[in-house]
Order: sequence, then C-alpha cells, then structure tokens
Amino acid sequence: MSEGYEILTLDEAETAPHRESTTLIPVRHLLGFRPAGVNAWKADTGGQLMPPHEEDSGNEELYVVVSGRATFTVGDETADAPAGTLVFVPPQVHRSAVAAEDGTIVFVVGGSVGQAFEAGGWDSFTLADAYRQSGRVEEGQKIMEQLIAEKPDYWPVHYNAGCFEALAGNKDEAFTHLRRAKELDADGDTTPYFREDTDLDSLRDDPRFQEFV
Amino acid sequence: MAHVDELDAIEMPDGFVWRPVRRRFGIKAFGTNAYTPGASGQIVEAHTENTLGHEEIYLVLRGRVRFTVGDDEHELGPGQLVYVRDPSLRRAGVALTDDAAVLAVGGKPGEPHDVSAWEYTFAASPYLRSGNFDEARRVLHEGLEAKPGSPPILYDLACVEALAGETDKALELLNESVAAEGRFGEYAQTDDDLASVRDDPRFPPL
Repeated sequence: MSEGYEILTLDEAETAPHRESTTLIPVRHLLGFRPAGVNAWKADTGGQLMPPHEEDSGNEELYVVVSGRATFTVGDETADAPAGTLVFVPPQVHRSAVAAEDGTIVFVVGGSVGQAFEAGGWDSFTLADAYRQSGRVEEGQKIMEQLIAEKPDYWPVHYNAGCFEALAGNKDEAFTHLRRAKELDADGDTTPYFREDTDLDSLRDDPRFQEFV
Repeated sequence: MAHVDELDAIEMPDGFVWRPVRRRFGIKAFGTNAYTPGASGQIVEAHTENTLGHEEIYLVLRGRVRFTVGDDEHELGPGQLVYVRDPSLRRAGVALTDDAAVLAVGGKPGEPHDVSAWEYTFAASPYLRSGNFDEARRVLHEGLEAKPGSPPILYDLACVEALAGETDKALELLNESVAAEGRFGEYAQTDDDLASVRDDPRFPPL
C-alpha cells in the first residue's frame, strides 16, 4: 500500500460501542482524513444507527445509506431509506435512524459552514474508551496522545483526554488535561461540559474539581 | 433526502456522469458529489488534485469499480473506499458493473470549504453543449457571484460568448481569465469552442 492513499472496507473495519446503544466505525480516526468529519454507524434490524441528536448552528451533516436499509426521522418526518439514499440534515434539526435490515451501514459527512474542520476527537475517544473497557488502557492512551499531538492548541482534544483518564481512574492525569482544556478555551465553551458530563463523575468529589465549576 | 438515482445526471465529455450532491442540498460546509458511469464506463475522471490541494475519499455505494491510484489498481465493491491523501497522486475509476455508483468527499485540510469552480463549469457544460447559452450564462454568472474573478469560470463564459457570436465579450473574458491563470492561454489555442475568435488580433498569444 502506497503512502499517499489507503483502502478501507467499512464492514471489516474496527468498531467501537458509542453511548451504549450504537456502534461507531471511526472512519476519520482510522484514515486520518482531515477536510471534514467522516464516520459510519452500523446496526442490525431494529438497532439504533447514530445517536438521536441535533447539531449546533452551522454544523451540516449528510448521511448516506451504504448497505442494508434504514428508517430515518428528521424533524417530524420519518422516511424509509434503502441503500443509496442520501439524507442531508441542516443544523439544529433533530435526527435519528434505526436499521431496518441486518448489517445496515450509514456513512456520515459533517462540517461547519465557513470554518476549517478540526477534529475534536469524540470519535477517537470512543475507540480509545472501547480499548480501556477491554483492558487495553495504554493503547487508548496512545490514541488520545496522538490526537493531542495533531492539534495541541485545540481545547476539545485535551478535554476528551481528560475524560479518558477520568474514566480510567487516573485523576492526576485527568486534571492535567482538563486544566489545559480550560486554559485554551477562551470562550467558556467547556463550562456546560464540566457541569454535566458524566464521564467526569469520578472527579466531582475531588477538591481540585472546584476550579472547573 | 434523495436516492442516488434521483440526483441530476450530467454526462461529462470525459465519459462519466456527475451526480451533484452538494448543489442539490445546498451544502456549504464540505465538498461532496456522486458519480455513475457514462457510456465509456468511466466513473471517476482521471485527475490529480494538484490545483486545489484536496484530500479525497471515494466510497463505492453500489456495483464494482476498478480504481487506479498512481501506479496501483484496486477493484472495490459496495462499502469499500479509497482515501487519497496525496493530492499529486493521479486517480481514476472505471465501472465494472453498469449499476456502479461512487460517493466522493473532498476538501483542503485546514481551510473552510470553498465551493470548487468546476461545480459551476460542470453544471453549465450540458447547456453549453446543447446551445442553450442563456442557461449556461446563468449558471456561470452564479459561479462568478460565489467566486468573483475565478479563471476557469471566466474561461467557460468566454467559450459561451464565442459560441453565441459575442466576439467582444468573449475576448474580454478570455483575456481576463488568461491574465489571472496562464494555463488558460494554452487551452485556448486548441479549444474548438473558441474557433470563431481565434483569428482576432485581441486573442491572447501563447
């Protein structure tokens, strides 16, 4: 395989459970693709594909049914989406999808209008955390370190590394990452995360957590 | 929401069929399009991304496609993708089955997405070929509004005006495009669309 390109088979690629009921194929992480967010979701009949959610203002997403069949709900409308269907969802519109056949795969592309794409690494974190849960903590740490090396001045990568360490029970490392995230976050975007993110629950009783809330 | 078969089908002179996705949905955050094979079986145009510096993903949605990337060949089926990181690698795809469909996603790392000029010149192409100059002008002017002074759009507009018999306009646009990007001066020497203005003293010299 040449240095300049890569082949990936979605159905055979590594997966990671995301928020308990969904399965992520972390395409962006696996490829190192930089211009946009690209990932895929996989489910059998009746299974949730991407987690039901809305995107923030300015975030556009395109879902493409690659195999199987999905039932999409976008806003108030529900539609059958066989393989080959493209579903564009504007920002701030609620979307969810359920597999209508086994082995359904939905590919997604996302980005912010007028902004260069920057990987905050929620997808890398998902894979790292799957490693952690299966006892491969060091491999998970390596993923988070790589993410930080790529974007050392971007707060979300430090925040996600903090979550990883908090879940791994490494409080000192967690606080180091979270402090860095807070330093880099000039706009106070981290505030709601520090307040509500259950990934940080193991830190909440620690006196050091006071500086974040 | 649309099925890939419901997207516009614009057959390009190089033999592949462009299925506009970004234009269809009005997507602004990233570049994405689909392709199906034309009569020649070509599904992805042979090209590099040297000019735009884009990284690209080609995902096979249906059928089988033989991709050539640099000197390598890969036969891919549904759910398989090739990610071309290096913009200088020449890439192309030929459909091995009539039903093949490919989704492309691309952009320049570290920069906000800027709609590519080729989306406008491709969209104007069928109108230019069929002599519907008003519609070709409309699409290309839409492109100039989005991308003021874009040399490839000015060049195609020059072609439209030359074909429409508007010699003065054609030469003005052509000179503007060549002044901004010299390669259009080379294309102009042999482009049949510009035959009617080539003998004019104002035609840009090579």
